Amino acid sequence: MTRLVEVPAQFDDRSFDQFAGAFAEANKDAERLLFDAHAAEWASPYGLVGLLAAGQAARRGGSAGAADRPLLTAPTNPEVLSYWTRAGFFREAAELFEIHGKVPRAKAAEHSDVLLPVTPVRAAEDVHAVVSKIQQRASAILASELGLDPKATMGFAMALSEACQNIVEHAGTGGWVAVQAYHWRRKLARRVVVIAVADAGVGFRHSLEPTQSKRFGDRWGDAAALEAALVQGVSRFRDPGRGQGLAGIRRYLVRWDGKIAIRSGTARIAIVPKWDEDVPLKDGLPPFPGAQVLIIIPEQGSTEP
Amino acid sequence: MIQYIDMHAVLQQSVSSLYTDLVTRPTGRVVRERIEQAIAGLGGAEGAGGAGGAGGPDGAGEMTIARIDFAGVGCIDYSCADEIVAKLLRDRPAVLVLSGISEGHREAIEPVLTGHGLAALIERADGTLDVLGAKGAAAVLLDELVARRCAARRPGGTYALTLA
Repeated sequence: MTRLVEVPAQFDDRSFDQFAGAFAEANKDAERLLFDAHAAEWASPYGLVGLLAAGQAARRGGSAGAADRPLLTAPTNPEVLSYWTRAGFFREAAELFEIHGKVPRAKAAEHSDVLLPVTPVRAAEDVHAVVSKIQQRASAILASELGLDPKATMGFAMALSEACQNIVEHAGTGGWVAVQAYHWRRKLARRVVVIAVADAGVGFRHSLEPTQSKRFGDRWGDAAALEAALVQGVSRFRDPGRGQGLAGIRRYLVRWDGKIAIRSGTARIAIVPKWDEDVPLKDGLPPFPGAQVLIIIPEQGSTEP
Repeated sequence: MIQYIDMHAVLQQSVSSLYTDLVTRPTGRVVRERIEQAIAGLGGAEGAGGAGGAGGPDGAGEMTIARIDFAGVGCIDYSCADEIVAKLLRDRPAVLVLSGISEGHREAIEPVLTGHGLAALIERADGTLDVLGAKGAAAVLLDELVARRCAARRPGGTYALTLA
């Protein structure tokens, strides 16, 4: 029997919980899953890497054989299909899903808005490659289109590096990263650069449990783990220098009026800038494996909502 | 003795020569170990070498000074800043004089050092020294260098190393 998981037509961080709910419901009896994206109209980098994480998690539940890979129906809208291809989604999805529908032949991301196509992150070497690539591609866009000081490019690369390292050091499995610049009409009516990172690994609660759960007592859970990591800068390692990564990302985002949101398990935490109406902490969300990180850096200038 | 470390050269020996960025903890660990070997006089890093004849005046002999040149290094992230600079200072008492430092490098290294209560020195192109990290530790470091005659106050109130 195959269970259906509908991919939201507008698939981004706002609709992710709806997707996670459908995924959790369909995945509970270990049947083969069909991710239905045929009606997709738009997906953010967060949606794309999140869908790959779901495919990874769904595959892990069954046997490793190709026949037990989850199914994915590709978007039917040619423009959407073209973007998903350009963004590198299908190149990664081909290993995780049995894909149904016409998928254009994969080609390199030539579109300037795709600063970094969906890229797998499994080891430190991958982080080197990501950082090297982003510095070549992003500096012009960060400076000319977002109005960031050219010096901020290095900070951007640092933030990206640390976000990716969370996968390598904490997830216990591989994940994906994607970076894109686009005009964010809905919220800001200005350009933004978005970093999206997702994995289907053990998540923050599991990673921090051995060192932090006693300290939190009854409060311990996904929300407390996220709070410990992002707000208090704690790490699962006892080395006093650990926990620098997320703290560094926060400093960078404060300086450039950016946003970070991390979803793990059943909770989501965010450092919310003035221009956004997100809530700092949400708990009791539909469970989803691993961790999903969203970083948004807006065009500089007035960021009144 | 001032030990000269070419960070770019050490990095290229430590990871693929394709990359110029100091990112990730594993990279930081390998780079730091090479620098530690160089400081210990084991010659583990090709990009490392002692400044011949730069032995300091009497009283400076016990102080290990490593001049680390960041020229050619792209980005350094917080994890690498901690793994290399902070751990070199924490685990092995030495004075680190960083040169070829960009604003971006500084942004990564400074908060890491401050968080640990540590300090290093930056040597500007004109030879003057600037401090990086926790203020208290930085003041102690400069005082100690002056007391050991490894650094001296210049006219105008700036400091510079007295050793080559």
